[in-house]
Amino acid sequence: MGIFKRNRTSLSDKQPLTPLGIAGLAFTYIILIAWSIAIIWPLFEMVLSAFNGKQESYLILNSTFEFSVKHFKYLFTETLYLQWVKNTIVIAVVTTILTLIVVSFTGYAYSRYRFTGRKASLMAIMLIQTIPTFAGITAYFTMHSILESLIPQFTRQMMLILIYTGGGIASNTFILKGYIDSISMDLDDAAKIDGASSIDVYRLIIMPIARPMLTIIALWSFIVPFMDFLLAKILLTSPQTYTLAVGLFTMINDFRTINQPAFAAGGLLTAIPIVVLFISLQKQLVSGLTSGSIKG
Amino acid sequence: MNKYNLYLYDDIGRKYERKNLYIKDLAILQETVVDSNDDEKPELKKKLKLLINKKDKHPYNIKIREFKKEESKFLSDLDEKEEVIENELSKIEDKEIRNLKKQLMESEIKYDFYKKHSELSYEIELKEKKNKIVIDQLPQTIRSLQYNKEKLERLKVEKKNIDSSLERKAREEFKVYKAKEKNKLNEEIKKLKEERKKGLISKKAQANITKELKQKYKTKKSIRRSSVPKRANMESIKNIKNTIKNISKQNKMVLNANIADLRRNTPVETIKTRPIYAYTTFFLPGLGQLLNKQYRKAIMFFIASVFVYLIAIPYALGYANYQGEGIYGLISLAEGGLRIDKSLIFMIEGIIAIFLLIIAIFLIISSFRDVRKVEKSRIRGTREKNWFETKMLLKEEGFPYLVSSPAFLIIIFIVLVPIMTTFLLSFTGMDPNHQSKFGWVGIENYKLILLGEGLAGSVFWLILGWTVVWTLVATTLAILIGFILALLVNNERVRFKGFFRTIYILPWAVPAFITIMFFSIMLSPDGSLTQILNRITGSRIEVKNNANLTRIALIMLQGWLGSAYVFLLSTGVLQAIPKDLYEAADIDGATSWQKTLKITIPLVLFQTAPLLVTQYTFNFNNFSIIYLFNGGGPFNPNLYGNLAGSSDLLISYIYKLTIENQYQAIGAAITIFISIGLMFFAYLGFRSSKGFKEGKL
Repeated sequence: MGIFKRNRTSLSDKQPLTPLGIAGLAFTYIILIAWSIAIIWPLFEMVLSAFNGKQESYLILNSTFEFSVKHFKYLFTETLYLQWVKNTIVIAVVTTILTLIVVSFTGYAYSRYRFTGRKASLMAIMLIQTIPTFAGITAYFTMHSILESLIPQFTRQMMLILIYTGGGIASNTFILKGYIDSISMDLDDAAKIDGASSIDVYRLIIMPIARPMLTIIALWSFIVPFMDFLLAKILLTSPQTYTLAVGLFTMINDFRTINQPAFAAGGLLTAIPIVVLFISLQKQLVSGLTSGSIKG
Repeated sequence: MNKYNLYLYDDIGRKYERKNLYIKDLAILQETVVDSNDDEKPELKKKLKLLINKKDKHPYNIKIREFKKEESKFLSDLDEKEEVIENELSKIEDKEIRNLKKQLMESEIKYDFYKKHSELSYEIELKEKKNKIVIDQLPQTIRSLQYNKEKLERLKVEKKNIDSSLERKAREEFKVYKAKEKNKLNEEIKKLKEERKKGLISKKAQANITKELKQKYKTKKSIRRSSVPKRANMESIKNIKNTIKNISKQNKMVLNANIADLRRNTPVETIKTRPIYAYTTFFLPGLGQLLNKQYRKAIMFFIASVFVYLIAIPYALGYANYQGEGIYGLISLAEGGLRIDKSLIFMIEGIIAIFLLIIAIFLIISSFRDVRKVEKSRIRGTREKNWFETKMLLKEEGFPYLVSSPAFLIIIFIVLVPIMTTFLLSFTGMDPNHQSKFGWVGIENYKLILLGEGLAGSVFWLILGWTVVWTLVATTLAILIGFILALLVNNERVRFKGFFRTIYILPWAVPAFITIMFFSIMLSPDGSLTQILNRITGSRIEVKNNANLTRIALIMLQGWLGSAYVFLLSTGVLQAIPKDLYEAADIDGATSWQKTLKITIPLVLFQTAPLLVTQYTFNFNNFSIIYLFNGGGPFNPNLYGNLAGSSDLLISYIYKLTIENQYQAIGAAITIFISIGLMFFAYLGFRSSKGFKEGKL
């Protein structure tokens, strides 16, 4: 038996581990598991508090666990959570549609046409987009009141949508332009010989081919209102109009409405769809990021 | 007076003899003046002057006048003839064909007339050839229209006379056929399902084949259906109607294209030598186009005029403002205005006025250039583009401007106007005591922050210091953690890779504001993490009340949050490194440590560097983590005054200055200060980027 053991043929072409290698591998596993715990524990804690009926307004450690959905009930009945979800989704959808319309045209125009002022405007946009969106915070408020006097229906949320759209145009144009650049011009030429106009080429050839990148742009634009806190906090002043980020913040910050377990419940409900989305689409999302690496 | 050219030139530089003999004489004489010696010059110049003064007496001009008389007589005769023609054609019932025939007959008459005079000028030649084009093309169009329309009539008659018994029979037959085919289809789909059950074909193949079969069935059905008389008749009528529509459309297109072609081949002559319209009418876009006889283009530019004179300029002068005084508002900033007048509104309206004026100037310049171009090419001999050609050109060359104009408008009004406002605001004295009215203070604010003076400026350097430390340490920590984890997981001996990878990207996938808020709860004085820390250390630790502990907690939290993204990026790169690199290293006897150091790290760093740089700028402006974790606290009035906390970054400090404490001016100054810094770093990044270097942009 001893002979067998010593001469055991390994199916792998890796060399057998030295004792040092075994120690290294064990060490690796320890680190990996430790970091997994570091990530899972807080998230697990959040899930636990959301379902723990024993928790009161302030979360505390080691209170006994009793399964209950009372925090979710509180969330739906006592707070405007559903309204916030609705607001965020409406803002996200409109922002996405606007961004897609505007950016698909600019990306196409900048990729396919050599018009006067092209390079200059591209450079200008590149520099402008490095200025963070918050640079205009003082003006947004006043601009909204000017616009509101012209069009009374113009709400703060619409202003927010315009700001999100405007902030995304530059970087998304770059991303899409790069993608369209990689589509062969021969396709355009072939279509044009057959009598297609520019808009036909855009609609029937470029957009279908660029769909993967458009999907990524749509996804990122859609996620922005879910992630942004600063602009929403500044512009939206009544709880009825809040987005999720601002609304949930009132549950841990404002002593009148504080309810930390309800926050955990709301956070959980918000996070789950986004986590599913991110994990299932991680490859596409990252490829979008890599091609738009200019964005600051 | 400018010189005339002896010859005319078109777009592509082809040479044409002048037909206007008067201008030709002028050109010849001018040339001799230049070539002559000093003795002859006065004499020749006198001759030239005489020629110009006696312009009307020049034989060519007399001839032209005579021709014009003749032409107007001819045209009035034509008007009379028209009635005769109409009478003659009234037998034809179809209006479209009647009109075309009328057009054809008129063109024939006109062609005969102009042909006789076409040597006189290029204008006449153009008219002659235009009519020739019509004569060449219309008969064919009329013939095919007639043929198709007759056929349509025949089909309509047929429709009424379809034998109902035959129709019924055909329908019955079709029904039987349809049922049979449907059965066949169902059987085949069933068969596919069985095959799928047995595992002979994949699910996708099953779906594809099913789709194909259904399509085939549909085609067969529609082919068979067209053998039913009524159906067949209906389809034929539809086809013919479509053909008729296309004939008319094509006729117009071809006619226009041929005329455009003709215009490129027929030069134009003008007595003008300078583009005077352009210079005299630049102030009113549209007028020059009108004088150039480009009427539809003129309408387009008149719309621009409406914008310039009814919107941009009145707004800039202060009319139709919400509160402000147009551009003047930028200077006055509502000083001495009503109580409700706000300086900020005056400023923003001033900026909007400037942008409107810039757009107006742009429109005026483009109109001026358009008029000048047309005039210059006419002087050269090239005919201007007609509306059909302009439309084609606009469709192609105007396309990028047209489609990117919404983007430009949004960028101007949503990005540029606010940034300009912030920029100008940084030179004013807007603070809590001067909210509605404030004035210009020059570079006072910048002085305050650079010298660290005043209530708001004194903590600037302190906060900048922490911001820099935070940016460097927190980002580097996140990068290190993410990178090391990616390396470890990528080790070929480690198992459960998918499990670890999914967990490690969770901090990236969960919205950051949720995790930050939850950590903030857990680290509050009674929070669970605080209690664990207390138990471990045995003393009472209050992270959120201790400046340094808060800072450390923030950095660790960012390490936790940011590492996921770096992990994701590096993993992607690591998986893409070709295996043969390592095999080659193995053969050369490299240790695994050497392989990591010499192959893996350089490759990953090189590919992710631009994205990692953006992580630094992201953290520089990471407002959420600071504000949501501890609101910038803990607060230490002795050191930081009342405006900032000890963990505030510049961005959250700006937020507190402008939004919470109404020191907008100084907040704007800091914003501009860091924006310039960010732009500088971004510029360095662009300059070395691949697209920029290759001039691809």
